[in-house]
Amino acid sequence: MTDTVRAGRGKFFDLARPSRQHLLGYILIAPAVLMVAAIIVWPLILAIDLSFQQVKIPRLGGASRPFSLNNYTWLFSSEEFWLACWVTFKLVVVVTAGSVAVGLSTALLANNRFKGRTVARLGIALPWAVPEIIAVVIFAWMFDTSFGLFGWLAIQLGFSDQMIPWVSSSTAAFWAVAITMVWKGFPFVSIMCLAGLQSIPSDYYAAAKVDGASVFQRFRWITMPLLMPVLGVTLVLTLLWVFRDFSIIKVLTGGGPLRSTQTLSIMTYDQAFQYHNFGRAAAVGVLTLVICIIASLLMLGRRSKSIY
Amino acid sequence: MNKRVKNLALGAATATVMMMSGLGPAMADTVLKFISWQTDDAGTGEWWHSAIAEFEKQHPGVKIEFTKAERSSYADTMTTLFAANQPPQIVHLASFEFQMFADSGWLEPLDPWLKKDGIDMTGWAGQKTCEWNGETVCIMTNYFGFVMAYNKKMLDAAGIAVPKTYDEFLAAAKATTKDLNGDGIVDQFGTGHETKGGPGQYLTEMLNYIIDAGAYWTDKDGNITIDTPQMVEGLTRWKTVMKSGISPVDMSASDVRKLFADGKMAMRLDGPWLYGTTEKGTAKSDIVYAAPPLTPPLGGSSNVLAMPSDIPDDQKQLVWDFIKLTMTPEFQRSYATMGGNTPPSPKADVSGVEKTIPHFPVLLQTMKAASEKGIDRVPIGLELYYNEFSKMIMEETQRMIIQDLDPAEVAKTMQSKAESIKG
Repeated sequence: MTDTVRAGRGKFFDLARPSRQHLLGYILIAPAVLMVAAIIVWPLILAIDLSFQQVKIPRLGGASRPFSLNNYTWLFSSEEFWLACWVTFKLVVVVTAGSVAVGLSTALLANNRFKGRTVARLGIALPWAVPEIIAVVIFAWMFDTSFGLFGWLAIQLGFSDQMIPWVSSSTAAFWAVAITMVWKGFPFVSIMCLAGLQSIPSDYYAAAKVDGASVFQRFRWITMPLLMPVLGVTLVLTLLWVFRDFSIIKVLTGGGPLRSTQTLSIMTYDQAFQYHNFGRAAAVGVLTLVICIIASLLMLGRRSKSIY
Repeated sequence: MNKRVKNLALGAATATVMMMSGLGPAMADTVLKFISWQTDDAGTGEWWHSAIAEFEKQHPGVKIEFTKAERSSYADTMTTLFAANQPPQIVHLASFEFQMFADSGWLEPLDPWLKKDGIDMTGWAGQKTCEWNGETVCIMTNYFGFVMAYNKKMLDAAGIAVPKTYDEFLAAAKATTKDLNGDGIVDQFGTGHETKGGPGQYLTEMLNYIIDAGAYWTDKDGNITIDTPQMVEGLTRWKTVMKSGISPVDMSASDVRKLFADGKMAMRLDGPWLYGTTEKGTAKSDIVYAAPPLTPPLGGSSNVLAMPSDIPDDQKQLVWDFIKLTMTPEFQRSYATMGGNTPPSPKADVSGVEKTIPHFPVLLQTMKAASEKGIDRVPIGLELYYNEFSKMIMEETQRMIIQDLDPAEVAKTMQSKAESIKG
């Protein structure tokens, strides 16, 4: 091998050259892209393909069934699907609103200077750090109809003269799920908001004070607008979390009673693993994805208009 | 020169490593995967381990990898494994879930294997359930009858005799349900039913009362028979039990069994597996087993062994050897002595089992009673739709209890929905 050839090859692979720097970027990102494609995009394509086939249990590498719209036809005419949409919508609204209300309040609190602030911040973040399944099992014990803490408290405080059937009453079950999800979800909102609050220059508040702005006015006209970029993204992420969350509902109520807590994700699971209708399950999954994309776009669009 | 030697040494070392790693799999044991929810069940788990040990002794170089999957997610696990073309070689399934796998053609027909070894399955309890589209696709591992276990101390304290009928059972349960410390929360229940373990388990609990009322979901030809006066009576009984507060609600099976075993429940209707829990409970010495007051006793097929249809022939032979081993009279006997289970084989010698498991004759009696009446949890004609059917029944029953609906109207709704599911 001559020196000329070596020099030529070295030049070709010289990724430090400004004209080839983008190649280095592509090379570095390639493993991540391939990984994402393998574990997200490929299964997504499979799911979309499956949703157009009438298939009970698919088998990897098995022959495809003929193209069919039957899963979607069934879905749109199914009472169960629309009920699941309604339950999901209710849960998204209640849990997102609850998480934002508690999360923003605690962030505002933790943003002030007071004794024990570090401990308070740790306390706020704690539910987020607890693994979801452990948190849900603890809540399941607390919501237990026969011996649970919440039922006992209700009796001791005089709110009820008997234990509350948290899991066998449609209304109570919905609120049991919502309370657990808010508890698990508010720390994320709180942490994000706290980061957002700390990025607001204190000069703005000082100037507003000089102008005689009240606490509420400062919150309304300084804090909220400047927090909106953070809050908008947080809102979208929380909304998507509620949409896709499965374990809290599955462990706490299993979607019941009377499907009062059956969201689209629980319905997807039931169709696939309970009824062995993987085609229908894939159709529910694909529609959930579409709804999530539309909701995210709407939320992000709204956020962009909300900032100064 | 030195560099050349180094290179040669490096090359030789690499070649050795490559050769050894290539030889590795050939030298390794043959491993059969066996997934079960019973790996650590008291008694039954030990029986499986003893069968595996014996099999491995008889087949040097063959190992069985015995792995646990939780019962609550067992069907999901098996569905995923079969769908991914990675089924375990030894397939262990509940008798109400193998049908979907058999219907997909994923289970090996066992008739040729039985014929080859001249095994006669006549009289094997519950074996008929293993026939799918005219072929034997599994071997029934367990066929059971429900028994009633009661806490003698509690019944005596309440001055109640052991109940023999539904009415007596209800009266005894009401008399033993108590708020012992007066805090407004019931601490001691008359009986207990699992209502949190999913639709299949919910139906099993209900069936005790429904069968006693003379009703069932389908007839022997698979016709839906829900809208009947007997079913209305059965549903009324279940509603009464669940609304009268004599049973804790929203509890899993293990929690209910634990409550009973620890002396917080007076009576429990359950299968042979309750024994494992009561033996570990604090009220062990107060617990007595008897024939259930609801007749015929609920019972039926429990779990099956099968093999996948698309594994290599040499593995099929090994799996069949394992299944065959569990069917031998010796292992059928130890199924009773170790696990306290009723063996399905008519050739099993169960004499003397009552010395270690005093209530064993009751187990045998209820198993035979259930078998003679052809009782099973999975209704004929609805095997493929059992999950959907059981969920529908559970939901309509919950609606009846929550909204205080008339059982007669509920039976009509169930009939119509069941016919729609069956198609």
